[in-house]
Amino acid sequence: MKTRRFITVLLAALLLLAFVPAFRAQAQTTTITYFTFSAAPDHLKDLDLMIADFKKANAGIDVKVQTAPFADYFTLLQTDLNGGAGPDVFELNYENFVTYAAKNVLLDLSSQTAQDKTWDAKAYYGRALEIFQQKGKQYGLPESFSTVVLLYNKALFDAAKIDYPKADWTWQDAIAAAKKLTDKSKGVWGLYSPVQFYEFFKKAAQGDCKFFNDAQTESLLNSPECVTVLNTMLSFTKEGVMPTPADLGGVKDDELFKSGKLAMWVNGIWQFSAMKDAPFAWDIQLEPGITRKAHHFFANAVAVNANSKNAQAAYTWARFFTSSPAAAKTRVAASWELPALTDKTLVADYLKVTPPANRQAVFDALNSVIPIPVIERQSEMQDKVTAALDKAVSGEFTPQQALEQAKKDVDALLKK
Amino acid sequence: MTSHAQTLSTAQDIHAPRVRLWRAALYLTLTALAGVMLVPFIWMVSTSLTQDQYVLSATPSLIPNPATLGSYQKLLDLLNIGGMFVNSLFVAVLTTAGQVLTSSMAAYAFARMRWRGRDVVFALYLITLMVPAQVTIVPLFILMRLFGWVNTYQALILPGLFSAFGTFLLRQAFLTIPREIEEAAFIDGASHWTIFRRVVLPLVKPGLATLTVFSFMGSWNAYLWPLFVARQDSMLTLPVGLARLHGQYLTQWNLVMAGAVISIIPILIVYLFAQRAFVRGIALSGLKG
Repeated sequence: MKTRRFITVLLAALLLLAFVPAFRAQAQTTTITYFTFSAAPDHLKDLDLMIADFKKANAGIDVKVQTAPFADYFTLLQTDLNGGAGPDVFELNYENFVTYAAKNVLLDLSSQTAQDKTWDAKAYYGRALEIFQQKGKQYGLPESFSTVVLLYNKALFDAAKIDYPKADWTWQDAIAAAKKLTDKSKGVWGLYSPVQFYEFFKKAAQGDCKFFNDAQTESLLNSPECVTVLNTMLSFTKEGVMPTPADLGGVKDDELFKSGKLAMWVNGIWQFSAMKDAPFAWDIQLEPGITRKAHHFFANAVAVNANSKNAQAAYTWARFFTSSPAAAKTRVAASWELPALTDKTLVADYLKVTPPANRQAVFDALNSVIPIPVIERQSEMQDKVTAALDKAVSGEFTPQQALEQAKKDVDALLKK
Repeated sequence: MTSHAQTLSTAQDIHAPRVRLWRAALYLTLTALAGVMLVPFIWMVSTSLTQDQYVLSATPSLIPNPATLGSYQKLLDLLNIGGMFVNSLFVAVLTTAGQVLTSSMAAYAFARMRWRGRDVVFALYLITLMVPAQVTIVPLFILMRLFGWVNTYQALILPGLFSAFGTFLLRQAFLTIPREIEEAAFIDGASHWTIFRRVVLPLVKPGLATLTVFSFMGSWNAYLWPLFVARQDSMLTLPVGLARLHGQYLTQWNLVMAGAVISIIPILIVYLFAQRAFVRGIALSGLKG
């Protein structure tokens, strides 16, 4: 009898649990939610610092942080936005920005910035602000940027008695140096810059190869300049200075560089913290060019949900997070990417940290950045160009044939 | 049992050299296979004890040199492991208890009670097993949002309280119990509830142990559903929280492995306890009949 009563009570309790309403904080303050992928896991404490500073300056607004791992972030964001609800402020990287802006889920910040007396467009790095606009309207505020540069192993250069890479190097100079640095018997390679979509559009910009004509009605991938660019990229493995996937044997390029077996490595400034404890001296330089220099530029932005019920508060947080000196200082001190702001004093501390010593190159690269070529059917274009490049790498097509194929495929995608 | 052993020894001499050799070969093969199964776990522990720069070295080795507990320290600094652990434990324990309770009662109703439409309803239960979880996630999420339960324990626990698989498993277990036992209890004036609790349930302990282990593992390791409904840091469960270690550009594998080691411990404990029930159950059923 006793146990029966006990079970009944337990079941009733379980059922009651179903009816307990979710606890809601008393809303004297406006609470906005901020969804981010870059904060977890290393920078949650830094984000909390920034929120504390924000709350001091803006009493009455509270910011609740939601995080997700990068791999799942956009799935979760889409799910939220499709239901008509979703976070008030969220982070976007440039590749996804275009899609979200096209779907009208981002708030047009122009009306907010017009009313904002402290708004100064020049505080932001112009290029970064531009890429988050569409049809002249500002949809996102740039939060951080990173560039891709050339990292090189000073110890290997010293051992081979060659000069370190210079800012005005071309790829021919780099290949010549790489030949002297490659020592297959020791498993040491001269350089690493693979043939893939991102590297290709950057080298294309270096070599005057245009993806499309100005009106974006036709693809120009089969031009002689583009064939030269692709040949240059393929020559790295042909000259024996870059390992093929077979040579790598499952080792990744960052592991290769970290173990001191790669002399020159084209990669992003986000590698600095990973390479901090490398057991050899290393530094960075601008990436070698062909006829001109071109560097990758990646930026993250924060955008406000078009359906947000607290648009004003959300904008205030976005503005603070992206451009206030307090937030910028916290960000730089934590090595949490670089704020996209023009005020050089904010990044003064960044320049002092070593390695690498030549951190100025990170900012010099900004003088020659190229954005990713974007069309509406973006991911399809990337897939098609990658497939064509793979055929050139495997030798199935000659570079000319591969680019003819790419041109045909991209033309089909450009047709409305 | 004695006759059984005697039968065996007259059939073949178990100490003959050829049988010994065969058995040695068998044991060797099984040990090797067991070793193969264990290598990923050894690798996991080994990586969790490795220093940052040696994690993905070009020359991997099973024993980390130098070994360090730094990854665990860093993990505890970065993420609120304690809170996530408690969340996971809370959700897993309640879900398991709920599943075992509801599944055993449903299984009893399907196996031992006669009512109209019983087989049709059971067939419907089985049909739901064919629907993949990914299909039901979106409607379930919308339902949670309507109730206002996103980011609450209700959303993490309630959808998982019922299990068609558990019902099926236990129904099979109940069906193996001979009717005579129940009929005897009926004659003595027991009600269904008494029979369920006092007679039948103790006899399916292995089945209950199996379901407990499966339930606990499923709930402890659940990733997809908690990913959708646990957004606030305070609500994260262990698998979802550990996924945060995969950054946009880099993953620190030694931290991930340290997290994995931490999350395996409760499952090991549950399994050790359940195993005793397994063995006892098998031994008991051997004496029957």
